[in-house]
Order: sequence, then structure tokens, then C-alpha cells
Amino acid sequence: MFGIGNPELGVIMLGMFVVFIMFGFPIAFTLMALGVFFGYFAMGDLIFQLLVQRSYSVMTNDVLISIPLFVFMGYIIERANILDRLFRSLQLAAGPVPASLALATLATCAIFATATGIVGACVTLMGLLAFPAMLRAGYDVKIASGVVCAGGCLGILIPPSVMLILYGATAGVSVVKLYAGAFFPGIMLASLYMLYVIIMTLLNPALAPRLPPEERNVPTKAILIALLTSFAPLAGLIGAALGSIIFGLATPSEAAAMGSLGALLLAIGYGADYSKRWRLLLIQAYGVMIAALLIYLIVCGLTAIDVHRYFITVALFTTLFVGLVLIPGTSFTIGQLKESVFLTARTTAMVCWLFIGSFTFSAVFAYLGGHEPVEKFVLAMNLSSTGFMILAQFIIFLLGWPLEWTEIIVIFMPIFLPLLKTFNVDPLFFGLLVALNIQTSFLSPPVAMAPFYLKGVAPSWVNINDIFRGVMPFMIIVIVSMIMLYAFPQIGLWLPTQLYR
Amino acid sequence: MDRLLFIVDEVSTWVGKTAGWCIVILTFTTSYEVFMRYLFLAPTEWAFDASYMLYGTLFMLAGAYTLARNGHVRGDFIYRAWPPRRQAKWDLVLYFLFFFPGMLAFIYAGFGYAKLSWMMKEHSSASPFGPPVYHFKSLIPIVGVLMVMQGIVEVIRCIQCIRTGEWPKRLHDVEELEKVMLEKAEHGDYEVVKELEEIGVRKGDI
Repeated sequence: MFGIGNPELGVIMLGMFVVFIMFGFPIAFTLMALGVFFGYFAMGDLIFQLLVQRSYSVMTNDVLISIPLFVFMGYIIERANILDRLFRSLQLAAGPVPASLALATLATCAIFATATGIVGACVTLMGLLAFPAMLRAGYDVKIASGVVCAGGCLGILIPPSVMLILYGATAGVSVVKLYAGAFFPGIMLASLYMLYVIIMTLLNPALAPRLPPEERNVPTKAILIALLTSFAPLAGLIGAALGSIIFGLATPSEAAAMGSLGALLLAIGYGADYSKRWRLLLIQAYGVMIAALLIYLIVCGLTAIDVHRYFITVALFTTLFVGLVLIPGTSFTIGQLKESVFLTARTTAMVCWLFIGSFTFSAVFAYLGGHEPVEKFVLAMNLSSTGFMILAQFIIFLLGWPLEWTEIIVIFMPIFLPLLKTFNVDPLFFGLLVALNIQTSFLSPPVAMAPFYLKGVAPSWVNINDIFRGVMPFMIIVIVSMIMLYAFPQIGLWLPTQLYR
Repeated sequence: MDRLLFIVDEVSTWVGKTAGWCIVILTFTTSYEVFMRYLFLAPTEWAFDASYMLYGTLFMLAGAYTLARNGHVRGDFIYRAWPPRRQAKWDLVLYFLFFFPGMLAFIYAGFGYAKLSWMMKEHSSASPFGPPVYHFKSLIPIVGVLMVMQGIVEVIRCIQCIRTGEWPKRLHDVEELEKVMLEKAEHGDYEVVKELEEIGVRKGDI
């Protein structure tokens, strides 16, 4: 028995983990096993109780509940064949502006990736949709690939994002505040990307030649209709989910559930085949029925008649579900629903098992007092608060090269967190900086998910080095935006302080 | 032999996929709760307990399914570049060093935990509704057993791979969109890409 307060053991444990992570074994099990081994040395049989209690606390965690719900919403939207129309409508809307295709790509990515939260899918889909369109129009390969890769990663930052939930659960920061805080930094980063593209095009018009006039001068009415049928519903869905969380109307999991429900309806609506008149009528009738039930519900609610409302609410949900199955001609099928369900199960299991491992590991690490040597080491460097911030962000930036964001947030964040108090850093603010920082982990080699996915669907003459060179300026923009956020914390903290005083 | 492996795969997959439908139920019950609470100011008693139980069941039971699909995240920046044989060797060693001890501890601890809960006929203290939680806690040892079974299958796969130098095939299942698309692109299934190849050729001419 070593007992409590064996910091050396804690450091060995951490060191072993860092070594073993490189052997590529599933991290959840590595963490769990190391926790059990070292825990057994330090506290004997107590470790079994600790293990099971930590596992149970993941099973009943009310923050993590929203993960499967947001993931589910994402998979449904991803499978709803929405991206084509979204991109086309935004491209039409951006028509007369220079580099319109690149700007439309960034905007499409921002919205689609925010709604789905799935970086890989966004990059590959746009790699087959927007990337070819830009190359055909004669865009420079570097700028075209940079835009697709950088844009596809925005979904991780702009709320409602799963990453912020993970950070909230790890750091014990309110997800609601994180969402409110990340909103403006997210918008700022997207705008900086756009600004960069516009400036580069103005300096060198050959980078992004203008589209032929027939694609530029589309009647406003056509543009509006295109926007209303593709951009508006999706933006509305995200806005409603995010708005209700930020303004405290609903908890994140409730908003995520409503979002999933909305996504299902959206998928059916988008997929429906409106070419045959009777189908259109049927779908309209279905819509009217749902609206009628909803209005009836609201009236019941307002007038406090409670005879029918349970019945009607159940009826509403049954109608929704039956409609999902029976609406003819929609391209969103039960098959796609199944796919979304199964993928949701796997993604959720992956994330939550990682939490079981990490909760166990960090509990043992804290019990051993492994933080002490780390803290002493950092304190011995005599850093100021700013110095510490720069060091921490630099380490996370470096970790982003070999690792992906889930590992960084769930495993390495707990090591930094106790230090935040020492240096008097707000964990909310730190989280916002990390969220920005993590953007680079998708773009930086050797494990640069976005560039490699793009390369996978690009024609053979597009060189991976060209893609990396194209991505580089966007990585610099991320760093610039981090500096801006650090210099003007109000960009992130204004909204949360206004809302939750 | 392969048939036996597939049977275990199928058990894990079936359990995981069935549990997957919890997400649909969770979506609908939580939405129902939202309607009841915000529209009628009549929140349900059961929604809170139901939500974490559905979520917990979902990810716990999908654990073995995810393992069967090789879906648990790896820090694979080095691993990825290795030849299959070396991957399999290290996996084999680490399954015995990490996976089985961890999971056996999980089963052992979970069994005691669940047993105690059954003996007390424990009810949830998270809400006044207080549904029984011993079933829910029993998931821990059950899932542990499923994981160990799937782990044994994965170990056999490692041995097969060390023999043949190739990872054995798995059952077909739905994959992430980007994975499917990348595979299709590799086989040259996309007309757009072919068309773009020509642009490249023309560029070369200039």
C-alpha cells in the first residue's frame, strides 16, 4: 500500500499513459486499466468502488445526456440531402461579390457543420460539391482547398457544438454559458475567414475568377425562394435550439431533443417529392394537421382545459411518427433513420466510454496527488497569468498535431484545470480559447483530418502539399483570432455576463 | 471458427442496435416533457429519470457493438502507419495487459454494486418519482460480460491477422458518410472527380 499522496506514482501513471497512447490501443480501455492498476496499488480494494461509482456517474450524468441527442440531430441532417440546395442558394445569394463561390462555401460549411457537428462528413461532402465548382470556375487550388478545410471545422466551435458539452462536462463549466460565450468568437472566426478570402481576391483577382454573368445575375425572387427553402429552415432550426439554450428557455438536452425532432421533420420535408400534385397536397394536409394539433394544444394550454391535452399531445407525436413512416415519396427513408440511429449509438458509446476511462483515471490521479508535481513544475517557471495562458495554449496546439480533439478535451484538460485556479484564469474563458485552438488540430499535419479527407475525394493532380499550403493561412487566422479574444475578452464574455448576471 | 466469431459479433451488434433505438425514444420523451412543461406548466414526473436511464442504457449497451466495429477512438497517429501484422501484435499484447484486467475489474466491481442495489431494492433519489434503479445498475456487469466476449473475439482476430498478415473481414454494417465516400472516391466512382482530372490535364498543357 502506498496510500494517499504519492505524487511520484501519479507522474509515472501519467507518463505511462502518454507512452501507451502511442501504441494505438483504444484510449478508453488504456485509461481504465491504468486507473485500476495504480488505484489498486494506492488504495487497495477501494478502487473497485471508485471504478463503479465513476462509471455510474457517467451513466447518470445530466450534461452528457445532450451528446446523443445532438449527435442524432447531426446524423439526420447529414443524411437529409440538404447540402446541395443549401450551397446552391448561398452561391446565388453571393453572386455579385468577388470570390462568391469561396464565400458561399464558407457560409455553407459554417451552417452545415454547425447543424451536424461532424467535421469529416462536411469536408468530404463539400470536397465533392464546392471544391469541383471552384476548380471549374478556375479558382486557385490552394485557396479552394483552404476554404473547404477551414470551413468544415467551424462546426466544432460554433454552438450548439458537442465539443463544448465535452468541455463543460470535464471542466464543470455550465454548457449554457459556454454556448453563449462561444457564439461571438465563432462568428468572428467565420467572418475573419471571409474577410481574408475577399482581401486576397481583391489583391489578386486571378485567385478567384468571377463567375459567368448568367450565373451572377439571377432574379432576386429566385434567390429568395432558394434561400427560403434551404437556408432558412436549417438556420431556423439551429437558431431555435441555440436561442432557447442561451436565453435559458430550455436545458441543452431539451433543446437538443427538440432539435432532433425538428431535424426529422426537416429531413422528411426536404426529401419529399413535390413533382406530383397529389403528393404535394398530401404533404400540405399533413402539415396542416400538425399545425392544427399544435394550435389546439396551445389553446388548451392557455385556457387550462386539461381534458384532452394529454391525448392530443400523444396524438401529435403519433402523427409525427406515422408521417415519418408513411409520407410517400420522401427520399428520407426508414433505412436512413436506422443508419442515423446506429451511428448515433456508436458515436455516443465511443465518447461516453472515453469518459468512463477518463473519470476513473483522473480520480486516481487526483487521489495520488499527481497534480502537485505538475503544479510545482509550472510554478517553478515563475510565469505570469498571461505567460501561463500562452504556455497552456501552446501545449494544446502541439497536442493537436498528433491527437484529435476528443482526446485533448477529455484527457489532457483535467491536468490543466487545477492550474487555472492557481493562475486565476476563468475556466469559461479558457474553454473559449481552447475551442478556438482546437480548430487547428483538424488542420495541422500529421493527423490533419480535414486536408486528408479532402485529398481523398480530390482529383489526383491536387497535391496534398498544395492543400496544406492552402490551409496554413487559415491556421494563422485562428491564432490571430485567439490573440484578439485574449486581448478583448469581451468578445466572448459579454454575452454570458449580460445574460447570467 | 469464423462463424463463431460472427455469432458473437452479431450478438453484440444486435444488442447495440436495439439499444440504439433508445435515442428515438429519448428524443420523443424529452420533447413530450418540453411540451408538457412549457406549454401546460405540467411537467411529467418520470421524464428526468427516464432520460438518464435511456441515455445510460444506450451508450452502455452499444459499447460492445462499437468494439465489434472497431469504433473506440485510438491515438493512432503512429499505429495507422504500421503494417497490419505489427498492429495486431501490439493489439494482442494490450488486450491482455489493459482490456481484460480493466473489464474484469469492471465486472467484479459492477456485480457487487448491482447486487447491493438489488438487496436494498434501491430506488432513485434523483427525483421524487423515485423509480427503481437496480435494473439500471445491473447493466454494468452485464455490459462487462458482453465486452469481454467481444474482446475475446477481437483477440482471435489479432491472432488471425498475425498469421495471415491481413485484418480479417468484418460483417457489413453502416459506416460514417465520409468513410463510405472516401472508399467510393478511391474506386473512382465519382463523375465529378473524373471531370476534374481532365481540367488538370488541360492545365498541364498550358
